[in-house]
Amino acid sequence: MSSDLGTIGWLLPELWLIVAGTAIVVCGAFCPARRLWSAVSLVVLAVAGGLLCWWEAARWLEPQPALLSGPLVNDPMAFLWRHLALLAGALFVLLAACHTDERFQPEIQGLLVLVTAGTMLAARANELVLAFLALELVSVPTYALLFLGGRSRANAEATAKYFYLSILASAVFLFGLGYLYGAAGTTWIYLPEGHSLQQAIPGGGKLALVGLSLVLVGLGFKVAAVPFHFYAPDVYQGTSYTNTALLSVAPKLAGLAVLVRLLVVGFQAAPAVVWPVLVVLAAVTMTLGNVCALWQRNLRRLMAYSSIAHSGFLLMGVAASAAGLAREPFGGVAAVSFYLFAYSLATIGLFAAFAAVKLGDTAVDGLEHLAGYSRRHPWHAAAIAVFLLSLAGVPPLAGFWAKLGVFLSALSGFIAGESAVAARWLLGLAVVGAVNAAIGAAYYLRVVAVLYFGTPSGSHPPAQMHVAWPLQAAVVFCAVLVVGLGIHQRPLSTWSQRAEQSLSMQSAVDVPAKRAEPHRVSWKEPSSLTLPRSR
Amino acid sequence: MGGLLVATLAVPFLAALLVAVIGRQSVPSCRWIALAAALLATVMAGILAVSFEVAPAGRDVIPDQFVTQWQVASGNTGLDVRFSVALDGIGLWLFVLSAVLLVTSVLVSWESVTERPALYYSMLLLLTGGCLGVFAARDIILFYIFFEFTLVPLFFLIGIWGSEERWYAAVKFFLFTLAGSVFTFLGLLAIVLWDYRCQGTGTLRFDLREVLANVQQNPLPEAWQWWVFLALFAGFAIKVPLVPLHTWLPLAHVQAPTAGSVFLAGILLKIGTYGFLQFCLPLLPHASAVAMPWVLWLSVVGIVYGALVCLAQRDLKRLVAYSSVSHLGFCMLGIFALTPLGVQGGALQMINHGISTGALFALVGMLYDRYHTRQIHELGGLSRRVPWLAFFMVFFTLSSIGLPGTNGFAGEFLLLTGMFQRAFGGGSGESVAALRIIAVLATSGVVLGAWYMLGMVQRVFFGPVREPHSGHTSGSGSNVKDLSWREVLALAPLAVLVLAIGLYPKYFLDRMAPSLGPATAAAAQWTDRLIGPAERRAAVPAPSWLVVENANRVE
Repeated sequence: MSSDLGTIGWLLPELWLIVAGTAIVVCGAFCPARRLWSAVSLVVLAVAGGLLCWWEAARWLEPQPALLSGPLVNDPMAFLWRHLALLAGALFVLLAACHTDERFQPEIQGLLVLVTAGTMLAARANELVLAFLALELVSVPTYALLFLGGRSRANAEATAKYFYLSILASAVFLFGLGYLYGAAGTTWIYLPEGHSLQQAIPGGGKLALVGLSLVLVGLGFKVAAVPFHFYAPDVYQGTSYTNTALLSVAPKLAGLAVLVRLLVVGFQAAPAVVWPVLVVLAAVTMTLGNVCALWQRNLRRLMAYSSIAHSGFLLMGVAASAAGLAREPFGGVAAVSFYLFAYSLATIGLFAAFAAVKLGDTAVDGLEHLAGYSRRHPWHAAAIAVFLLSLAGVPPLAGFWAKLGVFLSALSGFIAGESAVAARWLLGLAVVGAVNAAIGAAYYLRVVAVLYFGTPSGSHPPAQMHVAWPLQAAVVFCAVLVVGLGIHQRPLSTWSQRAEQSLSMQSAVDVPAKRAEPHRVSWKEPSSLTLPRSR
Repeated sequence: MGGLLVATLAVPFLAALLVAVIGRQSVPSCRWIALAAALLATVMAGILAVSFEVAPAGRDVIPDQFVTQWQVASGNTGLDVRFSVALDGIGLWLFVLSAVLLVTSVLVSWESVTERPALYYSMLLLLTGGCLGVFAARDIILFYIFFEFTLVPLFFLIGIWGSEERWYAAVKFFLFTLAGSVFTFLGLLAIVLWDYRCQGTGTLRFDLREVLANVQQNPLPEAWQWWVFLALFAGFAIKVPLVPLHTWLPLAHVQAPTAGSVFLAGILLKIGTYGFLQFCLPLLPHASAVAMPWVLWLSVVGIVYGALVCLAQRDLKRLVAYSSVSHLGFCMLGIFALTPLGVQGGALQMINHGISTGALFALVGMLYDRYHTRQIHELGGLSRRVPWLAFFMVFFTLSSIGLPGTNGFAGEFLLLTGMFQRAFGGGSGESVAALRIIAVLATSGVVLGAWYMLGMVQRVFFGPVREPHSGHTSGSGSNVKDLSWREVLALAPLAVLVLAIGLYPKYFLDRMAPSLGPATAAAAQWTDRLIGPAERRAAVPAPSWLVVENANRVE
């Protein structure tokens, strides 16, 4: 009995969000003051944050094995990612408060709260069926959100495209899940008996490979990895800035959480086909995303390709972890955790800032509409520039540290002296990543250049700032965090490393520590030559 | 004194913030705040330079002085990147020069920049702050942060206040440099990870001195050194720029506003050579020694090619820009000669080029303010119209071509001596023959340099008076004013430095050499092993007033 209560306690923030979100949707129908509901959902999210901190403050400090093996794990990674989900949820609410149809406020706000709950659940799911449900809890409200309030053809197209492809991806995911269950006889990622999903698979596990690849397809859709990215540009273009912010963060967070747990914990000593697939996926995703973004003139399409490219960088961290390389200085999971924070804050902030730029009545759409915007609204333009430069990875902003972490994780295997092929592949991936960092800077910089160097053409009215305090609050909050994390990254990188360590605790049972012994290195020492030492 | 260093670093950043916040109300306040910050930073940097401890005879000094380190958090979790600054002999004079050039930059922009002044001066101050940070950072990641950060303000300076093609120039400059420096980033991370592997304490260290000490004991395997060297080379060589990678430079220089060019030539290019001295040579001695002939070839091609392009230039600013390519070739030649004299000469030439080319860009800007043209063929005999401007132009030209008594002579003489020691000092075989060709070709660059610079001065300032008629000065040209006090004050500190370094280089070398020696000794030893030792003292004795005796003491 006590354990049941304990489970409810663990679930409390998510339960609260689901109940409150549903209540907002239902009660909204009877309340004429539609604007009220954005405030209500902010309060709901704040309460969830309070619950999260209060209930778990004592627990994350010492990750105990008992807490790591339930269907819902309670490790530092879950703690960190759930906080990010809540933070992102609150920012979505702020965006939606003034950038959507007022008639649908309660519905939109309630659905956003539900999406947040789903993202939080996905961050801690240790059981694949639960992970599937969490992903659906993200997807299903998203369909409604895409549809609500939109009347244009583009919007209808976006909704339909996302709906059908997402359903397909879910089905494929579920299909793969079936195979995995058939092979392993369990759907737990890390079993209560103390071993991982892979160890539960007898024999060679060819069946499990089929299942795993199907699951990868499903998750690839969520994170918009390359062969499954086709929906992104069209859907982004056809929908509002609130929805693009949601699409570029929430499914990515949820999908990556499941991917990381499945590959790093469930398939730690993965068959040697999984990580090459991830390496190739990461390389192709970031390259294609960045190269296609170079030609975009539409801000939403540009950001769609940018989010695809960032998926590539995130997958680089996952690949480093999945290859089972040295995770000692700064491993892949830590890198992904940090990257997600930096990416989400900059992306949501950027969409909030774009949403606040009005061209007459409508939100700004084309790149050329921003020409010379910095002359009229210098601080607002500066915020946009900060977000763009952070996404480009220019120091000292948050995005720089994110790239630092990802590159560190990819290089660490090679330098740790592991002769494994994986180390070489990841080195190659790091080089591809470096090239991509430069390509990516090109299109972010073009937007900055338009903002600051461009002169507005006479063909359209000059873009004006739409003053609405929730949007301004979101922009300021994100900008402060992006700059602040850049200047003082230590707390977040410490947290990210804890997330990494909690996952290694779970997989440590079957993987021997891979850190190379110091001083057992062979190199040619120049004989009879004493090298000078600096003191 | 460490506090003074941090304060010097903070001055431009705080002033930038101040200008951005209160400068929007009144334009003159921007200038005065910027000027006050520049003077304050210069005075503080000057105090640091004067109190920089010189090695007493027979005793080595600690290379890093004014060390300040902020421990952010205890424990070894997270990325232990610290705010850690200090000055050593390699960075000291570049640090001072950054502050001095800020004064020049503010004064030359005084009247020519009227558009968005608050943004302009805050960008200029941020750029200076970034440059100061590059030369003071003692944490590898902190160095990289400043290294990259300098791109952002200069991007805006070129893009907003540049000439016609400013947009293209700004983007090309940013992307070219960034593309190289992401590889530098990978290389630095590889070194940090190697240090992590070899030290066995389980913490990832980013402190330059700690990593350096460890890497010198446990050098990277040779095959890896080569790749890591290439990665570092990508970023630093683009910054310098070495010849096939130089195409961004003339464009950026020509399009940039005057202050931007001054800073670009004066400081930003030196970040590349500084990177070679501070990172490549000490951390990757073997690869540096292997790469040495290749780098020397690139340098000498840069010297000759840059000079030949200068001969064909019709645009004053473009001429000075290409002369930078040639002069930076000299710096790289000296550094990669890997003899004590060569390295000292290369390092001194970095400062010299910053002073004289910075001043030349400022002068070209002043000329442009008066005549609104930079075409050499539209100008002539200006020494009668603007005698003081002509005086300074001749003065800095002579410094640039290395007239004895000016700074350029001390630098070029030292580095060519070093190169000749390397080439003719000993050893045999094909590689030494190639080095001899390089040394001779490089010397021809001095002659070519005198040719194009003096030719330019002769055509623009002497002979019959020729002034553009479409200019700002409404036809006659006779009411063109000579240098104002403000402009003289902008140039004066640089002129003083030219003479100071030219007449008593030992004062400057004394402070540089103790750091240069240890930084390059390992690479020099590898070079000796690979291509035969250079008989350092015997071949070409250098005059004693130039040479610092304890330059290359190896225990």
